[in-house]
Amino acid sequence: MGMSDDEIKTAMLEKATKAPKPQLYIKDFYKCDPDTKPRKIKNLANDLVKEGKLMFWSSGSTTMYALPERIKDEEGDDGVN
Amino acid sequence: MAKHDTPLLDELESGPWPSFVTDMKRQAEKNPDCWDILGQLELSFRDKITHWKHGGIVGVFGYGGGIVGRYSDVPEQFPGVEHFHTVRVNQPASKYYSTENLRHLMKLWDKHGSGMTNMHGSTGDIILLGCRTEALEPFFWDLTHELGQDLGGSGSNLRTPANCLGQSRCEWSCYDTEEACHHLTMHYQDEIHRPAFPYKFKFKFSGCANDCVAALARSDFAVIGTWRDDIRIDQAAVKEYVAGNIVSNGGAHAGKDWGAFDIQKEVIDLCPTECMWMEGDELKIDNAECTRCMHCINVMPRALRPGAEQGASICIGAKAPILDGAQFATLIIPFIKVSAENEFENVIDVIENVWDWWMEVGKNRERVGETMQRVGLPTFIKVMGLDPLPQHVKEPRSNPYVFWSDEEVPGGFDRDVDEFRKRHAA
Repeated sequence: MGMSDDEIKTAMLEKATKAPKPQLYIKDFYKCDPDTKPRKIKNLANDLVKEGKLMFWSSGSTTMYALPERIKDEEGDDGVN
Repeated sequence: MAKHDTPLLDELESGPWPSFVTDMKRQAEKNPDCWDILGQLELSFRDKITHWKHGGIVGVFGYGGGIVGRYSDVPEQFPGVEHFHTVRVNQPASKYYSTENLRHLMKLWDKHGSGMTNMHGSTGDIILLGCRTEALEPFFWDLTHELGQDLGGSGSNLRTPANCLGQSRCEWSCYDTEEACHHLTMHYQDEIHRPAFPYKFKFKFSGCANDCVAALARSDFAVIGTWRDDIRIDQAAVKEYVAGNIVSNGGAHAGKDWGAFDIQKEVIDLCPTECMWMEGDELKIDNAECTRCMHCINVMPRALRPGAEQGASICIGAKAPILDGAQFATLIIPFIKVSAENEFENVIDVIENVWDWWMEVGKNRERVGETMQRVGLPTFIKVMGLDPLPQHVKEPRSNPYVFWSDEEVPGGFDRDVDEFRKRHAA
């Protein structure tokens, strides 16, 4: 049996905490549970955004995910990089 | 009164064309922050480098797209553009507006932003240029609650779908492009507003091969109207064109004397597949050879019409030239029915087949056309569950090698590479 949604979310947050760079592509989260379909991972990442545990970081052409505390440390509170 | 001297920008007002500099100066009289855009641009021209920084955590809550963060790297000099974010608003299908809607939209943008717009961006959205981070949520609230409009796509999302005027204005449209675009926009709200993909993904819907929305060149997933049966011919109208009693091209070439209409020169000789000829005073078409390019129909619209069995071709993988140059889409499905009756189910099946594969196989920042190129068309066609068709082939092969997979050979085959290499060194 595969991982539960909560287990995958925990693994995703751990990944976002330990990754060398604060911004992660959605694809970086696929490895948290290789058996789960990419669309499901995307939905879980978006749930984490709604819960305030992850946030979007956008370059304009690409959107990435980050832990709010890590990205604000890097960019300042107003999000300016 | 100008806040900054802009001698280099002023040069751009001296040509014969309308100038964006003049527009910005006019807006700056109303909103003094706009002087700082001119000032910063002048500085960029002098320094030969942009002074915009882009990227960041700008957005409205729950949305991963629709806002593109822009910051000045010289905010002390130009405080009016310290934050200058771009807002993308989903345009109505076919860009039909009421003046009431446009006035209201501009009123909101004057209230929350710079008042400057770009109607429209390349993807089709209404582009509202320049607002501060703290103005984003109030603007979004007013946009959604007062106007019932929503943000468009940006980032690694489904970008705002776009369509041609379709059957609302055009008799050539082979399916209802507006309905298709609207339905899929509503169906894929999550994909538009929240990042889902390795990179951007665009839909465009054109009603015929004239492709007024440039789907073939500008979209990852182009749905281009076509027909499966024969071009409908009115031979009496053909005679009228030949006699010069009906002007060709709907009168589009009226500004100059182009001489008498010559059906051989202007239609038959320009047919890309040479599938047309005259027999006496009757125009004949070998429809099996026709590629539905629309040229003959454009020239003689009262004599020729698209066939009656209508649908669309699906072409996948176009992109602009960031990597490897610009690329047209590749024809994948020559004909598919596009109908609101089944809620565009067959088109949705194709879209999701592509997405499921690309989300897994596509690299970060790789457009689906680049992924297709990387794996090769035969692999992509296999992934899509399609049989190779003559329409997939550009020209007869010149490469003599044929690679058979195990399951394609009756009885399969076993091959010991080490044994082979003993006899044939690499």
